[in-house]
Amino acid sequence: MTFLKVIQWVVWKDLITEIRSRETLSSMLFFAMIVILVFSFSFSMDQDAVRELIAGIIWVAFAFTGIIGLGKSFTVELHNDCLEYLQLSPAPKGAIYLGKMTANLLFMLTVEILLFPLFVLFFNLDVVEEIGLLLLIFFLATLGLSAVGTLFSALTVQIRAREVMLPVLLLPLAVPVMIAAVEATRGALNGAPLSLYSQWLELLIIFNVIFTVASFWLFELILDS
Amino acid sequence: MITIQSVQLSKSYGFYKIFEDLSFSIPAGECFALFGPNGAGKTTLLQVLATLTRPTSGRFEILGYDGITEKPAIRNSVMVLAHGSYLYDDLNAVENIQFASALRGKSPTFQEITRALDFVNIGAFRDLKIRFFSAGMKKRLGLAKVFLIQPKVLFLDEPYNALDDAGVGITNDLIRDLLKKGGTAFMTTHDRIKATQVASQTGILRQGTLHPFNLESQTTNDLS
Repeated sequence: MTFLKVIQWVVWKDLITEIRSRETLSSMLFFAMIVILVFSFSFSMDQDAVRELIAGIIWVAFAFTGIIGLGKSFTVELHNDCLEYLQLSPAPKGAIYLGKMTANLLFMLTVEILLFPLFVLFFNLDVVEEIGLLLLIFFLATLGLSAVGTLFSALTVQIRAREVMLPVLLLPLAVPVMIAAVEATRGALNGAPLSLYSQWLELLIIFNVIFTVASFWLFELILDS
Repeated sequence: MITIQSVQLSKSYGFYKIFEDLSFSIPAGECFALFGPNGAGKTTLLQVLATLTRPTSGRFEILGYDGITEKPAIRNSVMVLAHGSYLYDDLNAVENIQFASALRGKSPTFQEITRALDFVNIGAFRDLKIRFFSAGMKKRLGLAKVFLIQPKVLFLDEPYNALDDAGVGITNDLIRDLLKKGGTAFMTTHDRIKATQVASQTGILRQGTLHPFNLESQTTNDLS
């Protein structure tokens, strides 16, 4: 019960803080819109080329936007030494990790849901039939990024060059998520049968289970070191 | 009963020894005031005892729990009032208390929180975001958390900084109340006059070693 309450309170605190400050979401949205604009004006693609490349473009925008949000996840805890309070509290550290991870997941999904219509608009995508599947892919891949990203955000928060170190450490580990997300998104956007790309969804699920469990156990060590 | 027991506790950063072979014990119901010049290692010692930093060697126990291997049990009974306020700027006073209490498995009612805020005389500002609080008000909010959570051991790092006379009175009242209930306090301070009002044991940390400090006979020069 206490475990679930701690998760709930950490999510609540991060959401309330963000709703009031709007620091993370606004910077994520601003960056993502620039990416969409640059890509949409850089390529003059026919519809076939769009279908081949758009999945990669979407995930470049989502991943780098997510990194901005993940980077801020623990820097807010440095102010007034709140990170020290988290460390000193008797609350299960795994619950704090899951709370932070859930809040990051919600921020990233919010931005993705706001951005995706812009991709549809700028690249003239037909997504009506596959929207449910696309949302599932977005959820699974974003969960993977959030699971690893939250851990690395905590790991790099005390480093002076944290803005550089977070993507340097996170992106190589997130490569399987990125590849699986791009392949599954491409399959869904092209209207291919699910059986042709379901292995990528399975990879996302396996990655999420392994890295959420590993990060859950490692978080206490990182917070205490 | 001994609440804080330190045995040959040492801490170094690289080749630089902060303190070495500190052995002392603080019984339940007593307040220990630690003096010392800037850079003597007072805050580092407090951080070690509060389980924020590992000692380089030696061992210590808080309430009978080993300081290295039984951190969760210690953290359950200990509270720290440090230089940082541990407050979120975009939450108001009530929300900050609710969050801090939740992390300690407590869920005080709104009335209890209001009573705690009134005790430290900031009840009128309960809905104000912390970003608008002065340093003294933040310090008082920290005291309100102590009032609500009632820890068995309280660590205070320079508790009188930024507080007016009334705030100092509230701090010392809270410490006296804690001691009366069998709790223990450990504070680092430069203010021997204010510390005299509550501390029953004193020491001075100088050049990495702990010396007894006599509140009556020693002068301010001894602290620098």
